[in-house]
Amino acid sequence: MKANHVLLFYFLLVLNSVQAQVLTKEDSLTAGLIQRDAATVLSGYGSIKYQHDVNNNVARANVDRVILFVGHKFSKKISFFSELELEDAKVAGGEAGGEIALEQAFLKFNVNNDLYITAGLFTPRIGIINENHLPTTFNGNDRPFVETLIIPATWREIGIGLYGNVRAVPGLNYSAALVNGLNSAGFENGSGIKGGRFEGRDANASALAVTGALLYYIKNFRVQASAYYGGSVGLTKNEADSLLLVYGSFGTPVGVYEGDVQYHNKGLSVKALVTTVQIPDAKRINRAYANNTPEAMLGYYGEIGYNVLRLFKETEKNLTAFVRYENLNMNYKLPSNGLVNGTIDQQYVIGGLTFQPVRGVTVKADYIFKSTGDVNPALVINPFPTGRPYQRQQGFFSLGVGYSF
Amino acid sequence: MCLGGLALGWLTTQLAACSSLPIVKAVNDKGMINVPVSSFTEKNNLVIVRNGELEYDILLVKFGNTYTALQMKCTHQDNPLVVNSTGLFCSVHGSGFDLNGNVTKEPALRPLKKYAIQLNESSILISL
Repeated sequence: MKANHVLLFYFLLVLNSVQAQVLTKEDSLTAGLIQRDAATVLSGYGSIKYQHDVNNNVARANVDRVILFVGHKFSKKISFFSELELEDAKVAGGEAGGEIALEQAFLKFNVNNDLYITAGLFTPRIGIINENHLPTTFNGNDRPFVETLIIPATWREIGIGLYGNVRAVPGLNYSAALVNGLNSAGFENGSGIKGGRFEGRDANASALAVTGALLYYIKNFRVQASAYYGGSVGLTKNEADSLLLVYGSFGTPVGVYEGDVQYHNKGLSVKALVTTVQIPDAKRINRAYANNTPEAMLGYYGEIGYNVLRLFKETEKNLTAFVRYENLNMNYKLPSNGLVNGTIDQQYVIGGLTFQPVRGVTVKADYIFKSTGDVNPALVINPFPTGRPYQRQQGFFSLGVGYSF
Repeated sequence: MCLGGLALGWLTTQLAACSSLPIVKAVNDKGMINVPVSSFTEKNNLVIVRNGELEYDILLVKFGNTYTALQMKCTHQDNPLVVNSTGLFCSVHGSGFDLNGNVTKEPALRPLKKYAIQLNESSILISL
C-alpha cells in the first residue's frame, strides 16, 4: 500500500513536470509555438572555441563572447535595444584579457512603417559583419578577418541614424547616420583604425563622421554599398596646430568604403566583399603620433558554401561545407614617413563545416591557412635572442560551438 | 573596373524592371480588414496592406486561388521587413523568410505570424 502511495506520488510528480514542460511560456517560445509579444525581451548569443596552432603545436580554448540582449517596447513608436558583451569569460582586476562592453544601447523611434530613427550607441551599416555578427549567421569559428582588421567590426559609436526602405523599389533599403569620429592617436600598425574607436566611452565628439548605405534585396541576391567618412582629431585648435594635424569636425579624415554581394538559394550560399580604408593625412598622423599609419588599406574576400543535407532532402537542419579566401593588406599604400610591415599583408584560406542540428545552434570545425609577407627588420626594435624566426605560413585548426536565441 | 561596370549595368537593368508593390490602405472594421480581390493583377501576386492602427504592414500573398496574410515583423528583434518577389527580409540582421512565412535565413528562429483569412466573391477578409 505504502509502495502504491509512493508510486502515485511519483506519477503525479512526473505528470506535473510534464505539464510544466508543455505549458511554460519559455518552452513554448523555444518550440516556436507562440508569438512573442512581451514588452520586455531577453535574448542573447555567444561562441566558445578550441584552436590548435599547428606550427607551434599549442592550443587554446576560450569563451570568445557571451552577449545578453535586453529590449523593451515603451509604445508602438518607441523601443529600447541593448547588447552587453563579455569577451573571454572573465575580467579580473589587473589581469590581462577579458572585456565587458556595451555593444549597443539605443532608442528606436518609428516615424512610419517605412522609416525609423535610432539614437544612442549603435553599429552603423558598414560591411556585413558589423550588423550581422551572430555566430549562427556566418561560417567558420572566426569572423572574416577582412571585417575584423580592415573594417573593425563590431564598430559602434554614439550618434543618430535614419533607416528606411523605398516602397517604389521593393527590396531597396537605405541608411544614413551621424556619429562621433575616430581618434587617430589610437591607430596602431597591425590593427588599423581599430584602436581609434571610442565605442561609446567618453567619446570626443569634436570629430564627427557620416555613414551611409544602400542595401538591395533582389531575387535571391543581397547587394550592398556602404561608406564612412569622418574626422580623426578631436583636439582643440591649439593642440591640433601644435601637432600639425588638420583641425575641425572632419579634419584629418578617414574614409571607409565597402561593397558586398550575397546569394542564398536552395542550400547554396555565396558572398563576396571588397573594402578600402583611405587616410590621406597619414603622414601628419605619423609625424604627430609615430604609429606607422598607412594612407590606404585594402581587403577583399569571397566565400562559397553548400548545405550538403539538401542533397538528400528538404530540411531545416544545416551541414554546410564552405571555403573562403581572404586577402588584406594593411599597408597597401604608405606615406613617405611610413615603414612597410610585410606581416600585415595577409592571405587566408579557410575551409570547414558548419552544423546546425536546430535553428539557433551551431557546431563548427574549420582549418585556417594563413600566409603573410616577411618581417621588416627595421620594425623589430628589441629582437629576442632565442626567439623562433617568423613563420610566414601558419595553420590553425578550430572547433567551436555557438548559439543565438 | 570592367566587372564593376557589368555589375552596375545589371543592377540598373534590374532596378528598371522593378515595379512598386501595390499598397492597399484598408479600414479596421471590428477586427476585420477588407481587401478587394481586384487589388491583385495578373502580373502581381503580392499586396501590402496598411492600416494606421497596425504597427506593422501585412503582406497578402496570392497562390493560385488561395491567399496568405503575413505580418511584416521580423521574429528576431521585431524589425519591419521588406519584401521582393522571392520573400521577406530584415535589413538589420539579415533574416529571411519565404512567401509562406517560413524562415529561410537566420538569425530569426520562428516563422512569421499568419492572419486568418475569409474569402467572399469580391473581398479578402483578414482577421486581426
